[in-house]
Amino acid sequence: MAATPTLILTSSDGVDITVDRDVAERSLLIKNMLEDLGETGEAIPIPNVNEAVLKKVIEWCTHHKSDPPSTGDDDDSRRKTTDIDEWDQKFMQVDQEMLFEIILAANYLDIKGLLDVGCKTVANMIKGKSPEEIRKTFNIQNDFTPEEEDQIRRENEWAEDR
Amino acid sequence: MAGENNKMASAAEAPPRLRAAAAPPDHLTAPSLATPFKLDEGYSDETKGQLERDLSDPPSNDVMTLPDWLLAHSETDRAELAYSLLRTLRHSTLNAIVDRVAPLLHMDFVLKLPPEITSEIFSYLDSRTLLTASLSSRSWRNRIFDSRLWRDLYIDEGWRVNIDAVRAFEDEHSNLNLASPQSRKSRLRHADTDDGEPKQKKRVPPTWLDSRDQGLLDEAQRVAGEADPEGDHLMSDASNQLPGSGDRNGSQSETSSVMKSNGNSPYTPRSSPISSPSASTILLRMPNGTAKINWLYLYRQRRRLEENWAKGRYTNFQLPHRSHMDECHLDYVYAIQFSGRWLVSGSRDRSLRVWDMHTQRLRYPPLMGHSQSVLCLQCDPSPEEDIVISGGGDKKVIVWRLSTGEKIQEIAPAHDDSVLNLRFDKRFLVTSSKDKLIKVWNRQLLLPTSKDYPQIHHGIGVTYPSYIVDTNQLPSPLLEAEIAANHIQTLAPYHLLMTLAGHGTAVNAIQMNENEIVSVSGDRLIKIWNLHNGTCKRTLIGHEKGIACVQSDGRRIVSGSNDNTVRIFDHASSAEVATLRGHKNLVRTVQAVFGDPPGAEETMRLEALAVDNRFFDAQRSGASVDLGPRAMRRAGHHQNTSGSRHPRDIKALGAQIPPGGGGSRWARIVSGSYDESVVIWKKDKKGQWVVSQKLSQRAAADSAATPTTNREARHRASAALARAAAAAAAAQGVDQNAPGQRRHQIHRTPSSRVFKVQFDARKIVCASEDPLIVGWDFAGPDEDLMEVSRFFTDV
Repeated sequence: MAATPTLILTSSDGVDITVDRDVAERSLLIKNMLEDLGETGEAIPIPNVNEAVLKKVIEWCTHHKSDPPSTGDDDDSRRKTTDIDEWDQKFMQVDQEMLFEIILAANYLDIKGLLDVGCKTVANMIKGKSPEEIRKTFNIQNDFTPEEEDQIRRENEWAEDR
Repeated sequence: MAGENNKMASAAEAPPRLRAAAAPPDHLTAPSLATPFKLDEGYSDETKGQLERDLSDPPSNDVMTLPDWLLAHSETDRAELAYSLLRTLRHSTLNAIVDRVAPLLHMDFVLKLPPEITSEIFSYLDSRTLLTASLSSRSWRNRIFDSRLWRDLYIDEGWRVNIDAVRAFEDEHSNLNLASPQSRKSRLRHADTDDGEPKQKKRVPPTWLDSRDQGLLDEAQRVAGEADPEGDHLMSDASNQLPGSGDRNGSQSETSSVMKSNGNSPYTPRSSPISSPSASTILLRMPNGTAKINWLYLYRQRRRLEENWAKGRYTNFQLPHRSHMDECHLDYVYAIQFSGRWLVSGSRDRSLRVWDMHTQRLRYPPLMGHSQSVLCLQCDPSPEEDIVISGGGDKKVIVWRLSTGEKIQEIAPAHDDSVLNLRFDKRFLVTSSKDKLIKVWNRQLLLPTSKDYPQIHHGIGVTYPSYIVDTNQLPSPLLEAEIAANHIQTLAPYHLLMTLAGHGTAVNAIQMNENEIVSVSGDRLIKIWNLHNGTCKRTLIGHEKGIACVQSDGRRIVSGSNDNTVRIFDHASSAEVATLRGHKNLVRTVQAVFGDPPGAEETMRLEALAVDNRFFDAQRSGASVDLGPRAMRRAGHHQNTSGSRHPRDIKALGAQIPPGGGGSRWARIVSGSYDESVVIWKKDKKGQWVVSQKLSQRAAADSAATPTTNREARHRASAALARAAAAAAAAQGVDQNAPGQRRHQIHRTPSSRVFKVQFDARKIVCASEDPLIVGWDFAGPDEDLMEVSRFFTDV
């Protein structure tokens, strides 16, 4: 990679952030854009991601810059686990607003590893909780009547463990 | 804002319940929604208001309007101001504010995130967690009752589906009951987006969608069906699913109209107080009029079916039909195979009979051609094959056309003694005999240049007829010239290709996998042969007496023996990974389905490695784990060999599969024995094989013969009662005066040793000394299960 080793990304709130090209290329969106348009030297606007979130995303990409590249959709070969490595767990200890913003940014920027970690983090917040606890965790409005809730509970009985 | 995160994080993590004790004064609570069922005190603020604030919209109207000059301050300044203001309040007031603020740090991602991401999140959860979560709210329920999510869950259970039957069913019901043109048009956009939604990152390889209704392990690897086409569509546009664009209609419009299928009757719309989506409808009507199978429904029904197997809930049936006993075999039934609608049986009465499983009647008169017992057979009803091949005590092999019963070909004699077993695929027919030999025959016109032409191996054990040329000796141009000059014979179908010798006594059973043959013999050995050159690749030992039957799926080999056990061997390492004890006599027939979910190979390898490592650890720490079974027994430890992972129970190291043989928790083995029983084996919670049900052939025959009303009553009785009845019948020995006098004309055999069993997702069929063929149907008499079972294959 003889080209410029750094790029400038402009966040939605207009802040320029300088980032190593190999870090930025964890984002398939940016990588493909660079491949299609070539290196222009101009700042790349990231219109959907604000500065705070973009900095978090870059932090993740920096830590994971030497991970093997995402292999697309061949992860069928393994059963889905919700195990998350320690660094990522710490990284994801943020408020919910930030967590969901990171997930949205990872989705938009097409950073599969980060999207997976984000989704697993949320999945783990659901595991082992009662419906009421889930509602609390995500501030969900219960819009079922008690009768409806009873009915659903009965409908769900088939899944009880044998 | 970044600096603020830490503060927010700590607030988000601490369960706010601690502060919920102090009830806020009325004038401080946010106006709550008129929810009739209010559990979450302190969380009743309207989510919409909260989300709008996230998006830095003007404050919603439930909060006092702030002057512009105040909002003009920086975030830091406003935070300082708010903090200073809060400091002036009494604790009770402060608590109330904390209660009001806490929910703002928690947000409903189902409303906030686009559906393809929520689907991705839910795809990490198991069925129970998902169903619990579906109680959270309507929008959660709608999102979780996503057919595609349950399709992946279904496949992850290791269950297979007959994808051809599903597609045919969908096509059959598409464009019926079309929505009115106007609503179709207006909904088309939704249909397009939802059709592509969600783009599952996890794609299921087509291998997991078997196209055939096949119960046999050796065919289970067949790849069929196309990859899921709708999974390849574009993602839906995330923006139109974001909060603000409407919450409830942002969910699953694919379930806008749900139909209930009921047998052949037309669909009737189903109204439920909770409305769609639902686990109780088989089809989902897409807005454009096409019908899609509801995978949640399939998943649920499959669970119910498995529950019936586990609890021993079934109805019995028999061949022939009770009112047509004149169609019954006249003697022992040695061989059966069913496939789809047809079942073929072969008997000591020298006939083959082809049965229609729907009517329990003969398809056409018995097929006569063998001059002695029919001992083995295999059929393939697919239109491209449409054949039955049978072998008998008369040393003959006969090829029949299944649809007509016409005899196509006869190999006589195929062996020097009884033909005990045979297997075929599109390329080869393999036969085994009491003459200790295995023979391989071609099924297609065969040129020496074909990849299926024998590759001559000079060594002991394998011999080739003189017309087989050694293609290694001839350079390929010369070979082609010879063929052109007609010097080398092109082999018509059913020519002998090679003869494999190696077993010391009768070869009782064989299996053919992709490129190998697995054989078992009275000599207690299991042998694996190369199908292309006839060399014996490996010999497995383990059984203490002769072996009667074998199944192999390429990962494990399952065999039944005169030592009364069923054993499971690791195909890769030959290690014995389980011994199943439960029969009291020779195990004559066995079928196993392990139901490997996607990714099983790697999972199992790691599990096996962990078991080995634990063994070595135990050994290093001085535990007596490697004394061998006998010394172990003297030391007072009886090895548990049904799949225990305890170091002391490990019989062999280096396996690629864990003790018990791996597979999903729905793995199933069915074995039939000379003890007149059929045993259903399952894995318990620890992964060890246990007897799930012990079924009596005779009890099944009695039950199938009793009039329908009694039968239904019997079905309603608990499984325990049925078992008690079976035990009682067995205790009385032969009951000549069975209720209903079912056997006019038919001789009641003094015993009913089991010769052959076959099962699929729904039923077991059993052939025995009793001329009556009996079955256990685990779907009956449940209408829903009977209807949906045709979509299920294997475990």
